[in-house]
Amino acid sequence: MENALGIWGPQAIMMAITASFTIFGMIMLLAAVLMKRRWKPSYTVEFAFIGLMLGLVWYGDYLSQGTYSAYQKNLNTEEKKVSGNYSGLDEQAFDRTVTVVAFQWGYAFINEDEEISRNAVVVKPGEKVLFKVVSNDVIHGFNVPVAQITAEIDPDEKRELWIKAPDKPGKYLIQCVNYCGVGHTQMKAWLVVDAGEGESS
Amino acid sequence: MATMEMDDPKMGEKVHWVPEDLLSGMTVKQILFSNDYRHIALKGIMTSFIMLALGGTFAVLFRLELTVPDVQFLGARVYMTLMTLHGMVMVFGFLIPLVVSISYYMLPKVLGNDRLLWAGAAQASYWVLILAAVLLVIGRPDFTWTAYAPMSLRTGNQFVWMGHLAILLVAISEFLAGAVLFRNAIAGKGGWSNTPLMAWAAGTIGLLFMASTLPLGFVGYGLLSDYAQWTSVAWFDPSRGGSVQFFLYVFWTYGHPAVYLPFVPAIAIIYSIMPRFLGHPMWSYWSGVVAFVLLAAGAMPIGPHHFQPVYTVSGDYQRFVQILTMLVFIPSVLHVFNWISSLFMAPIPDSARKAIPFKFMIFAIAFIVYGGATAFLNAQIAPDSDFIHNTYWIPAHFHAMFFGFSGQMAFAGVYFLFPYFTGRMYNQTMGNWHFWLWQIGLFIKITAMGIAGYLYFPRWVYDYLDIPGWAEAQLFVTIGGYMVAVGFLFFLVNLFWSAKHGKLVEDDPWPVVHDLKAAPAAAPAE
Repeated sequence: MENALGIWGPQAIMMAITASFTIFGMIMLLAAVLMKRRWKPSYTVEFAFIGLMLGLVWYGDYLSQGTYSAYQKNLNTEEKKVSGNYSGLDEQAFDRTVTVVAFQWGYAFINEDEEISRNAVVVKPGEKVLFKVVSNDVIHGFNVPVAQITAEIDPDEKRELWIKAPDKPGKYLIQCVNYCGVGHTQMKAWLVVDAGEGESS
Repeated sequence: MATMEMDDPKMGEKVHWVPEDLLSGMTVKQILFSNDYRHIALKGIMTSFIMLALGGTFAVLFRLELTVPDVQFLGARVYMTLMTLHGMVMVFGFLIPLVVSISYYMLPKVLGNDRLLWAGAAQASYWVLILAAVLLVIGRPDFTWTAYAPMSLRTGNQFVWMGHLAILLVAISEFLAGAVLFRNAIAGKGGWSNTPLMAWAAGTIGLLFMASTLPLGFVGYGLLSDYAQWTSVAWFDPSRGGSVQFFLYVFWTYGHPAVYLPFVPAIAIIYSIMPRFLGHPMWSYWSGVVAFVLLAAGAMPIGPHHFQPVYTVSGDYQRFVQILTMLVFIPSVLHVFNWISSLFMAPIPDSARKAIPFKFMIFAIAFIVYGGATAFLNAQIAPDSDFIHNTYWIPAHFHAMFFGFSGQMAFAGVYFLFPYFTGRMYNQTMGNWHFWLWQIGLFIKITAMGIAGYLYFPRWVYDYLDIPGWAEAQLFVTIGGYMVAVGFLFFLVNLFWSAKHGKLVEDDPWPVVHDLKAAPAAAPAE
């Protein structure tokens, strides 16, 4: 899975369905108000419409579930589900494992060598990175826009999420999306993609 | 015309509709203590306009700060206080009381009782809410309207307990309002199948009010208790043995029904005034009834789609919530189907096309389609874990639903009732200005918010980085928001001016006239 939750793919289909649904509703409303012709739908039309909706519900669940469990499977093949007790059996599947401590207000990144860096994590292009995120105090968010993934981090729980680092070297935003107190706005960090051969971080 | 049809309860209309000047005739004693349903309702309606002005002023201030990147004049604490009060005042102070007050006004008339049962409880509900609003303004909490523990316990504001107490009071106030709505809904005389749709709405939502405010009350109590350390083991604060997940479940068991509390009475207004303007009953009565019952039944179990339940990410429980959320989409679609079919089935009278409340109603339906369709997307775990969770996509969705639909429907109700409580007609020109400024402003605002959300703009920030697209989107949100503010000024001027100088209304302010050119004399007064 290149970009498990990427907008191009299952999500684009869902966006297209949502947009067509909106446009269809607007056209029907406009027609009802502006057209000269009158039309009284029968109950059959309504039931057919409900049938269509049920089909969409099934399809939405099918696609979303497929996408998300494929993402999760990649995260932890052994356990299938992410639970509060991460066993760490499958960390080999990732090129890099980073423990993240979210606090009021910032992130601390701890790499495999127990080195701590604040508000920046250095990775190599295209690497698969596993983040094990915990919160020190209140509910925080962990959003990596470039990897298109968001998680909500509760103080008494542990969350794992993985990303595939961008191929292009540069600085990418990591931000908190849950209001976590007055310093919420400052709660940002950088995903630094560094192609350099030398020791990272 | 067609008096017999008008007396049909399924028309959502009955007698007892006489335009009279109630507003200027109210004495101070009546304003404060009268248990007449019209007085209670008018008091509620006018108070919610004050709340809207208050919440709107907060929005005008913080939108100015957000227009361009960097910090201009609002610091973090002031910004967050304004934001929190904006959310709380708009939902608890403006929207829910406004639609409930309109229900208080219309239910006794629609049912033909001409009096509000348990009016004392409605009165108490009003005053408890005022107390909550005063506490909020004095305490100035900055924990957002969701008050997530343990953050809301540690804001460093020594008056933060006033915010917790206000949550408890809001719960009490809404519980009482729900009880009044339910009691009156079952006070009809014709039996189940002759109950107007407005009463079905009031009955189902009254039950939902009473059921869902219990968890909210517990949230208020639990926060107070944790803050003051009344118990040795905390409810919500994990540092003293509480559980954050417990808080999230309890809060959102209220929090999701909370969005239906204004939504369903707003739907009820459509079912009452649409037949009046069209001159024929709704397309289907039972479709509406079924939709009301399903909507109320589905509201509470789907609360967890607002957060990410731990232990169950990608698990069966979250999937159950995802499917159920998408299924609850169906009753709303049934309503919209019913409205569009009603509009489609017979020619729309000229008199309706001209009426401001009718126009607001049509565009409110457009906004429910615009904002509601995204609910299908929001319910799904995969996109929610991408760009939806707590980005500006969410404010776009709920401003379309809360304001674009529920708020605008409430204003359609107010314009509709205006001749009945002032004895005069509003000014058409100012009404049109209000109408167009709101439609265009809301559309710009909501669309720009959606685009910002799609670009991962996080919620609840007073300052942001100059990332491509962010500043442009924020600029347009501000422009749209200011258009809405100007539109509201038009409404206020219209309200005060027309109540004194508007054209006098004799009997029926909303006659159904199919061809205005053929019968200009019967045209609605302007």
